[in-house]
Amino acid sequence: MATTALTPAASTYRSGLYEWLTTTDHKKIGILYVVNSFIFFFLGGILALLVRSELAQPGIQFLTDEHVYNQIFTMHGTVMIFMFIIPMLVGFGNYVLPLQIGAPDMAFPRINALSFWMLPLGGILLFLGFVTGGAASAGWTSYSPLAQDRPLSSPGAGQDLWIMGLTLIGTSSILGGINFLVTIFKMRAPGMTLFRMPILVWTILVTSILQVMATPVLTSALIMLFIDRNYGGHFFDPASGGSAILWQNVFWFYSHPAVYIMVLPAMGMISEILPVFSRKPLFGYKAFIFATAGIGALGFSVWAHHMFTTGQVFLPFFSLMTFLIAVPTGVKMFNWVFTLWRGKLTLSTPLLFALGFLSMFLIGGINGAFSAAVPVDFALQDTYWVVAHLHYVLFGGSVFGVFAGVYYWFPKMTGRMLNESLGKIQFAMIFIGFNMTFFPMHQLGLAGMPRRIADYASNVGWNDLNLLATVGGFLIGASMIPFLWNVFLSLRSGAIAGDDPWEANTLEWATSSPPPPYNFDHLPEIRSERPLFDLRHGKARPAATMPDPGPAPQITH
Amino acid sequence: MHPMRHPRNAIIVGLVFVVVAAIYWAIPYFGGWHLDYAGVTMLAVLGIAGALMAYVLIAGSPSD
Amino acid sequence: MTANPHALAATEEHTPVAGLAHDQRGGISNPILGMILFICSEVMFFSGLFAAYFSVRASAPAWPPIVQSDPALTEHFNLHAEPWFALILTVILVVSSFTCQFGVWAIRRGDRAGFIRNIAVTLVLGITFLIGQMYDYATLGFGLSDTMFGTTFYTLTGFHGAHVFGGAIMLSVVLYRGLAGQFSAQHHDAVEATSLYWHFVDVVWIALFSTLYIL
Repeated sequence: MATTALTPAASTYRSGLYEWLTTTDHKKIGILYVVNSFIFFFLGGILALLVRSELAQPGIQFLTDEHVYNQIFTMHGTVMIFMFIIPMLVGFGNYVLPLQIGAPDMAFPRINALSFWMLPLGGILLFLGFVTGGAASAGWTSYSPLAQDRPLSSPGAGQDLWIMGLTLIGTSSILGGINFLVTIFKMRAPGMTLFRMPILVWTILVTSILQVMATPVLTSALIMLFIDRNYGGHFFDPASGGSAILWQNVFWFYSHPAVYIMVLPAMGMISEILPVFSRKPLFGYKAFIFATAGIGALGFSVWAHHMFTTGQVFLPFFSLMTFLIAVPTGVKMFNWVFTLWRGKLTLSTPLLFALGFLSMFLIGGINGAFSAAVPVDFALQDTYWVVAHLHYVLFGGSVFGVFAGVYYWFPKMTGRMLNESLGKIQFAMIFIGFNMTFFPMHQLGLAGMPRRIADYASNVGWNDLNLLATVGGFLIGASMIPFLWNVFLSLRSGAIAGDDPWEANTLEWATSSPPPPYNFDHLPEIRSERPLFDLRHGKARPAATMPDPGPAPQITH
Repeated sequence: MHPMRHPRNAIIVGLVFVVVAAIYWAIPYFGGWHLDYAGVTMLAVLGIAGALMAYVLIAGSPSD
Repeated sequence: MTANPHALAATEEHTPVAGLAHDQRGGISNPILGMILFICSEVMFFSGLFAAYFSVRASAPAWPPIVQSDPALTEHFNLHAEPWFALILTVILVVSSFTCQFGVWAIRRGDRAGFIRNIAVTLVLGITFLIGQMYDYATLGFGLSDTMFGTTFYTLTGFHGAHVFGGAIMLSVVLYRGLAGQFSAQHHDAVEATSLYWHFVDVVWIALFSTLYIL
């Protein structure tokens, strides 16, 4: 449908590696984000498999130095959160959002590139700990006083490198959030009012607000920790008037909204995919938007539910707010289920992953609701129950959402379809592997197994479940093989995708796969949040005329 | 103009957090429990910054 | 207004942002919106530091802290006794905000000379503030590791100073570009953005000064 009217030479004066290193095109930057995030996903996954290998049986098997174990789980958590899931979702947003709003690029393309390149650098800083005597080992939550203790916090410079890496990554996040907000509010195609934006754009909007408002608080916490560790500061040192709880408060003020940063865009992706593969519009568009905004807002008032057991938390307030947040989340569940209800379902891989998201996130939400009850949390804090909860929402939720997005948008990004059979094999393996790994952790938590331990007694009944979890973990690892094989094969010889292989609803499918450098030649009329659907059914016209070249574009100084 | 398009009303989003901060301060203060000044500060400043952000995003959007 | 297609569209908005640069579709200019959002994020950064300050101060048995082993130190902690130098710094910064705004108004009406003059004065005042701050540090009598009082004082004022320094760099760039003739009444986004940042820096100082010296 879209034939590019730009001269072919327009984008080819830079080519190959130089093009990729210097690009400011949101599509290439999006792909860079996705590839970088997958690399760190695999690194974080290897760290997880090391943990699971050690825990498969009681007794220390190969991590004879427990400080190494601490480094491994610390880096696993840090890498998965900051180098995988948040940038992965930002990367998808980068690619898809300007297309979905009919914009030629992001508002600040060079800052976009800067935001990306800070990430590999941040990742290198994080991992540099391993070669400078020891990586950070105080947990991704880095509580004081452990975080300040040399050598316990990390045998070498790892903890300081961790702080520096995260500061850099946080800055990337803030700049990205600003970029998204300006793009969304200023660069929508004419006719696309706020309430005609695709749901993915809305979820990225709320996520970006969270990124801009919450991440700087983490930066301040990290800086305070750095000052304590290196300049004789006393922020978190009770003996000199500081407070270890202060760290927890400031840290979680960011890190709780962070979990919504990690899940809202995935929810947005699901909300794009479910309607397409049910041939029905999303049920309750406006309700969904208000629920998303509600989650974003409430997400700022629940941080201390991570600190119930400190004895210094206003318990009823945080418990109430935490239960409240289940309400808009439940609304969204109903939106998704009623979208599927009586729809004409096509059980393609994106839909399978979306269904996986729905079911696994539901379990994660339910076990989270248990933890919101203060007495229950008093018993389950710092046990494997919490590990189960966080992985059900982050892996069963966000990661499944990411894979749904990969299978859905890969054709748009590359012009090739991914192989459905391999996709379904991957889904089966990862779904089974995931549940095998993390469901037993509910039981382990209830049985009292603490988190972050390298070893456990052989006579407390935890052996079988741990072994099961390890087998599941390796199954998850194995599921990456059909995935990578699929990507490799499809890039070389996958079926040509065309503009709109899924018969979808949103604007990114109104241009070629992959899109030309400035995305659109002309845009259809925008009358609802499903412009392509409207175009197909005669409710909107294609662009009446070629866009008037008109006055010169806004020149920014 | 629809009330939701009016920039002044967008500020309410931020002020909600100032109200939450006030409640978060008032209940422990009058109830005699431990007061989390860090949380009160962060929530209150979030409200102010949020109000500014909401205002400028709505007021600065094109009117079409 | 001429029919110049590059001219900023006249806006019918009656909101306070109406004075800021607008683009053809009537919205605020992108870089200025970006700067305001960035300022929001910086406000949140300071909120974490202020949160630490209020939290620690509330749970301290005495504030400023009384150090039994070092009465001289305890004496130095009493900032209320000698707020004058800090007051002078405050005046300098507030005046610099005024001159910055005068500069913005000047370039909005095309008065390049007035704009250059005012931005130059703003920059000089900003640098004076920084020098004054360093002098203050040298004569305070306590350091970063002297109880939480020292830690919070130096962290808060130090990061504020770093932001002033960043602002001074932005002002220098704006001054240079202004001298090179790169700004006009229609195109001066960088000036607007820089002045917004400078006002933010001033507001943070007023909050700091009130909190540290007066409260």
